[in-house]
Amino acid sequence: MRPQSPHEWARFHCGITRELEASVLNSLALRFAEWVDSLSISSSLHESFYLYNWIETTHVLTLMLSLGMLFVIDLRMLGWWLMDVPATRIAERLNRPMWIGFSIMIVTGILLYVAIPIRTTQSVWFRLKLILLVAAAINAIAFNKYLAATGKTWDLDKIPPKRARYAAGASLCLWAGVIVCGRFIAYDWFDCGKEMSAFMNWAAGCIASAAGHH
Amino acid sequence: MIESFFSWLETSALGAFVKDQGATFATIEAVHLMALAVLGGSVLVSDLRLCNVVLTDVPSKTVTDNAHKYFKISLIVLLVTGFVMLSGVAVKCYHNFYYWVKMAALAAGILFAFFVRAPLLQRDHAELNPMTLKLVALASMSLWFLVAASGRWIGFSG
Repeated sequence: MRPQSPHEWARFHCGITRELEASVLNSLALRFAEWVDSLSISSSLHESFYLYNWIETTHVLTLMLSLGMLFVIDLRMLGWWLMDVPATRIAERLNRPMWIGFSIMIVTGILLYVAIPIRTTQSVWFRLKLILLVAAAINAIAFNKYLAATGKTWDLDKIPPKRARYAAGASLCLWAGVIVCGRFIAYDWFDCGKEMSAFMNWAAGCIASAAGHH
Repeated sequence: MIESFFSWLETSALGAFVKDQGATFATIEAVHLMALAVLGGSVLVSDLRLCNVVLTDVPSKTVTDNAHKYFKISLIVLLVTGFVMLSGVAVKCYHNFYYWVKMAALAAGILFAFFVRAPLLQRDHAELNPMTLKLVALASMSLWFLVAASGRWIGFSG
């Protein structure tokens, strides 16, 4: 049905623009994935049983270090762990091992993407995982600023301030979501080419590729 | 007898539930991984402290005493979710080499944690030989990394 009023026309145009933008982004993402897929490193990683599996094992093992340290910090900020040690000290001292873990996770995560780029690009779970990772990073940056500005004033309080507890709770929830999405990437419930709703097709960015992939 | 238990477990109501309900197995797997992260945090923060790598300005006993509670909670979650996951793929696991490596490492890890590490760390750390503390920490980290790595390899084989 044609839009009638100027307001309806404006909404119509906005809708089309958003669809075009999403379609362009999906095309770019898919073209990038196809380029990665054409690299020899991609097939080398994908076809090597031991190399691929050890990269994935390292990705999971580093979770014990990176998220392990992050959970210690978050539980301290919630007031549930190591309450006789200043909160800022816990955050400062565990920051380095946590980042060593995250660095290894990022490198192994990129290698896992390189091994299976097209399917991963069109995975709803991978897309959701990236969104949650960005949200977790924003939450962490905002909280670190708050901690640097006010931490010394409530360092040993029996109950940390609301803002610290909310940030820690949000961090735990966001990372739990990252773990769930990361684990779900392996499952083919919403793979492109399967019978699924228009929404899931949109969320997965299912568009036909030049190479004939879905 | 062990094989028949594994067969029975897979055909039990729990096994059928885990197998038949689409995302059940995957969701339990994700909870298992979250508990692994908490266990990793509690083990590593204590063991790296005993090795004088982190929190060196905090008494080691304070760190290990605090961490033991979360170690126990996460271990219980890991055991429960692990058993539920097993029920869905029990027969496959029975014939899987890495499953038995994981079980052996898990048994060693639990025995070591509760019968060697915990009683030792309850004592005054200043009275203990620093090298003993470091060796206990290294053994503990090695065992739990072996449990996690062999657990991941169950999915790659068989």
